[in-house]
Amino acid sequence: MAMNFWEAQRRAKSRTTLFVSIFIIFTLFIATSVEFILRNISESNYNPTVPWVGLIFIGVTFCVSGYQYARFQLQGGKYLAEALGAQLVDSKTTNLKDIQLLNIVNEMAIAASLPVPPVYILEVNDINAFAAGLGPETAIVAVTRGCLNLLSRDELQGVIAHELGHIYNGDMKISMRLGALVMGFYIVFVLALRLLQFSPIERDDKKGPNVYLIALVLMVAGIITYFFGSILKASVSREREYLADACAVQFTRNPDGIASALRKIASRSGSDMPKEGMAFSHIYFDDRGSLSSLFATHPPIEKRIAMIEGLDYLPDEWKRDIPTKHQ
Amino acid sequence: MSTIMSIFLGFCAIVLIGLFWLMSVYNKLINLRNQVKNSWSQIDVQLQRRYDLIPNLIETVKGYMNFEKGTLEAVISARNQGAAARESIKKSGEPPSPEAMSQILGAESALRSSIPQIFALAESYPDLKASENMKILQEELSSTENRIAFARQAYNDQSMIYNTTQEQFPASLVAGAFGHKLAELYEIQDQEAKKPVKVSF
Repeated sequence: MAMNFWEAQRRAKSRTTLFVSIFIIFTLFIATSVEFILRNISESNYNPTVPWVGLIFIGVTFCVSGYQYARFQLQGGKYLAEALGAQLVDSKTTNLKDIQLLNIVNEMAIAASLPVPPVYILEVNDINAFAAGLGPETAIVAVTRGCLNLLSRDELQGVIAHELGHIYNGDMKISMRLGALVMGFYIVFVLALRLLQFSPIERDDKKGPNVYLIALVLMVAGIITYFFGSILKASVSREREYLADACAVQFTRNPDGIASALRKIASRSGSDMPKEGMAFSHIYFDDRGSLSSLFATHPPIEKRIAMIEGLDYLPDEWKRDIPTKHQ
Repeated sequence: MSTIMSIFLGFCAIVLIGLFWLMSVYNKLINLRNQVKNSWSQIDVQLQRRYDLIPNLIETVKGYMNFEKGTLEAVISARNQGAAARESIKKSGEPPSPEAMSQILGAESALRSSIPQIFALAESYPDLKASENMKILQEELSSTENRIAFARQAYNDQSMIYNTTQEQFPASLVAGAFGHKLAELYEIQDQEAKKPVKVSF
């Protein structure tokens, strides 16, 4: 029995909760460590009854990430697509390519038991695509003109199925939440850096806490959390890419479509994806902008193709549905 | 406490447990039947789409294919048979009955072979082949075909769960009394699709 939609959504939700909990526990741990260090360095002269610095660290992180997440929530997928300059495809279009695109999205929405999302086209020659929006009801799918011109119907179907896989697995929610938290750590670092610039190293009176030292400790805490937060976020994102590829195979029942679309991307060089989209590179179908693999939001294409063709990531209960090649 | 009293209480407990069990089986079966109906409606929408597209196709090719009247008539009669069966299922408000389902499947397997035949014949008319309308019709019909295939999977999965629940003991004792029948699977009848898939690892 194929995995049911509600079951998949429930699993996605519990995974999101798990990752967000890890982040929160991590934040609390760092805040406690900051307090502990400051209280044990005699030069800091820091000994209040209320753990102010720890509270500031926690407060700044959660306020910033709460604000950031609320912004994502308000804007929705449509906002992102329009910010990148993508055009909504009219459902009454008479252009054959556009009709085909809408048809494929419809087919895949049926295969995934998802509501049919609005479809956008981005006028660039690259082969790329993304899904945006936090839930199945507000999600959108966008593809580039390059996808329509260069991919066959089967390949395009694979790409669309991959994007619907992200919606199905609730990936945008995870990545937006983690992104918002990482943003919180970054702001702690920036604020501490500012404080450091404006606080004197030499102090005239020895009363009161040493602001310079507090700022220094906060800055180090901010940079450590930002660093590990980014790595965790990227590794979660790569994991989700494999899962979305697996969904693409499950929905299309055709591993060749998506694998051959990925090969076409690998054989092309250069990128003309919108630069303002770099902040959202993690949501693209393929992201070759990132340099090191530790921070890369996407796994290497060759590895993705190998996983798809080996049906490695597919849960066993799904394999039954995939037609195997005759030998 | 007297012995009679405790026997009476024990009896009440057993009756209560039985009632709760009946209630849960009843609700579960209703729930599953609704899911079957819901996934059938997904197929229903696509069937209607296909039955609406076919007259367009006939209209477009009619002028060209005077010699292939037989093919066109076969398509029209299969379409009408399917449309009538679809209507009757819709009116009943229940999952498809065995008769209606076999009518639809018969019509579908006829359409699956005759529609591609029309497009193959159209290849020999350059005007028709180049017509944008014809290309769009081909895309729409093949997309509908795909959608039926994907919706069928969900429908068959749901029907299977519903049927298994009805057949399992002890729900099998009461399923019939509650008015539940086994749901009909949507299975393609053409020879091509029935060929066994060779599994190799």
